[in-house]
Amino acid sequence: MDAFNNLMYGFGIALEPINIAYVFAGVFAGTIIGMLPGLGPISALALMIPITFAMEPSSGLILMAGVYYGAIFGGSTSSILLNAPGVAGTVATSFDGYPMAKKGLAGKALAIAAYSSFVGGTVSVIFLMLVAPLLSKVAVSFGPSEYFALMVLGLTAVVSLSDKSLIKGLIAAVVGVIISIVGIDMQTGTERFTFGSVQLLDGIDFLVVALGIFALAEVFYMLLRGGGGKEAPRNAIGSLKLTRSEVKEIAGPVGRSSVLGFFTGVLPGAGATIGSFLGYSMEKRIAKDGDTFGQGNIKGVAAPEAANNAACTGSFVPLLTLGVPGSGTTAVLLGALLVMGVNPGPMMLTERPDVFWGVVASMYIGNIFLLVLNLPLIPLIAKILDLPKPLLLSLILIFCMIGVYGMSFSVFDLLLLLGFGLVGLGMRLFGFPAAPLILALILGNIMEESMRRALQISGGDWMTFIDKPISLGLLVVALLSLGLPLLKKRRKKIPPDVAI
Amino acid sequence: MTSLTLKRLSVFALPFAAFAGMSTAAQAQEWTPERSIEFVAPANPGGGWDTLVRTMSRVIQQEELADESFAAINVPGGGGAVAWAQVARDSGNPHKLFATSPPMILVPLAGASRYDHTDFTPVARINTDYSIILVAADSEYQNLEDLLNALKEDPSLSVGGGSAPGSMDHIAIAGLASAAGMEASAVNYIPFSGGGDAMTNLMGGHIEAVVGGAGEAVGQLGEGSQLRALGVSSEERLGGGLSDVPTYQEQGFDYTFDIWRGVMGAPDMPEEAVAYYEDLFAEMLETDAWREASDQLGWIDAYQNSEEFGAFLDQQQEQFSDVLSELGLLRQ
Repeated sequence: MDAFNNLMYGFGIALEPINIAYVFAGVFAGTIIGMLPGLGPISALALMIPITFAMEPSSGLILMAGVYYGAIFGGSTSSILLNAPGVAGTVATSFDGYPMAKKGLAGKALAIAAYSSFVGGTVSVIFLMLVAPLLSKVAVSFGPSEYFALMVLGLTAVVSLSDKSLIKGLIAAVVGVIISIVGIDMQTGTERFTFGSVQLLDGIDFLVVALGIFALAEVFYMLLRGGGGKEAPRNAIGSLKLTRSEVKEIAGPVGRSSVLGFFTGVLPGAGATIGSFLGYSMEKRIAKDGDTFGQGNIKGVAAPEAANNAACTGSFVPLLTLGVPGSGTTAVLLGALLVMGVNPGPMMLTERPDVFWGVVASMYIGNIFLLVLNLPLIPLIAKILDLPKPLLLSLILIFCMIGVYGMSFSVFDLLLLLGFGLVGLGMRLFGFPAAPLILALILGNIMEESMRRALQISGGDWMTFIDKPISLGLLVVALLSLGLPLLKKRRKKIPPDVAI
Repeated sequence: MTSLTLKRLSVFALPFAAFAGMSTAAQAQEWTPERSIEFVAPANPGGGWDTLVRTMSRVIQQEELADESFAAINVPGGGGAVAWAQVARDSGNPHKLFATSPPMILVPLAGASRYDHTDFTPVARINTDYSIILVAADSEYQNLEDLLNALKEDPSLSVGGGSAPGSMDHIAIAGLASAAGMEASAVNYIPFSGGGDAMTNLMGGHIEAVVGGAGEAVGQLGEGSQLRALGVSSEERLGGGLSDVPTYQEQGFDYTFDIWRGVMGAPDMPEEAVAYYEDLFAEMLETDAWREASDQLGWIDAYQNSEEFGAFLDQQQEQFSDVLSELGLLRQ
């Protein structure tokens, strides 16, 4: 078999001692970077370009790819332990990971995250290996109309993410869309909601909002509620072991989310964040115990973790087969490859098979390293929860501040962070769910841009969303996913005021 | 523990450098840096400005051209406006430089920056890239004339680019349309979030053509490619992978467009400092390391010293404001 021979050739490169060292260094650095909010893979990779410049291109890419998927792997740690997502792709992990940690199941949540990440990463490497060249067609088949439909489908998750009150969920989602609009409008160059401030011209960074509304709001809430320090530290870590029935329970979600995540990653511009949200909301919908999502359901950790790692690998498809970056991180990787004298694109498989297959093979090794590296670390890292509450709360606060400042070096962003912390606190006190706001913030901007782009191309004809089969299909699925839960509720004959 | 960030790394060297420099600078006539130079990329890592800053810093260090290091710093925001506002406050500072290119002219003209190029000290133009027009490999348009005629007949045909209306890619195509006797505003320009995004949409058949940077496109052309180039905006044909792409002028359209890149400094930078950097960058352009990096990135050297660069910028401003006002996007 061809793929098998190629893979063996790839392993021949990836298993060279120096490359094994690079994989290890890459995933180790990535894990650390992922754990720290703010220091994302983008800036880490940009820093590494001068280091990789003198390397063999395959080694350089092996190292940098390791940092990238290592960061997504490690990003779940702070989401679970502190409710402070380390990278954007792991926001959805905090929905159930943090409640688990609060219940004293931090060890289990981290272990599930590690196993699911491993499976997601490995499954998607298999896909990458087998179908990457074919998938480049899929990646380009998505134009503005199709993206718009995909974002609509993603937004329907608001319904499943607003647990108690649909109306409050929708309000939160609208606020999220409004925040996503802040800044210079791409289509016209007009400033919107900037109030003349230079700092707002580029919009509000997603991570500032996420850290504020999740982590900081949690700190404020605990201060309000507990007065700090009173609660005795619980035996916070718990067991790492999964029972057989738990393994069975997460097997389905992990498998489905791995595939879903990979295909989301293949689409330029979609990536790990959207992939993890789609995985989460899909599982929440099909699970029998979907109501317990958000309260520490293990499937709610497994699904987004499998999806975000799979999406990360998937994003290498457009990079390596088309030479176009699908995200900020892959844009930096593309730049690094160009500097090393490799032109990613359709010809890369024939011109530089060493780079392509070497990286693919190294991803298998890297994922194993990540698992072996992370599992023994879990009890150590989770000890952070044993800290006295005042210390832990200040630590989270500092963590978020450094994270946000490290991203932009802007004091203004720190104030925004505090502001969103207060907004998040208010939302918690009045029962507004935070997840729909975050989801709408991620999707809102792409949805609006795609819609206007599509209409500009079609000359203002709305049929463009229905004429295209992919776009039509996605919209139909979106409609179904909105309609079915409502029908179900109807059938249960719940009076509308209770349903709301 | 948590903040091994770009900025932190880059300022490690500062305190030591300041001590070493103090004694020598006072006696010498010729100015040399007294501490490491903050070299600002007014954007996030990964873009054109960032690549320029990092490549220059690396070559200068590798070839040991300067006693002090060039520390790359990213100040993203507002298409450059945030960084400009920051540098503008640092009047007279000879240790602060930033990378620049046509947005330095375009963003202020669109009314999105309080500062324009006249607020800063031009140091040197470094190199240039050109604009290129691409269509799908199986497109019916064989040359520029085919495409422009089609655009004349059917103004709804879409041309994608990697930046907002009124920025580089839009000006490049609008100027060409104007030179071909069309109204600049008649082009249905579709802004995408980057050149790569626009090219994927072209490959997928969602748009008719793409206007973008030649350096960025070169990797997409050649054998087995899904794209085809119709023309470049340079005066003479480019080399390498683009040698068989005709210029606009060859095809009878009298129009050129430079995507120049250069370095500017804080307002009122001392003349001696400007002279130092002029020489340093001129020397850098002669090194093998620079040659190699430029070849890989598709850059073409286009050095101008401070005075020439300043005059060039004024001239660019005039030219761009004409096109922008034709497009109805001039807001100064």
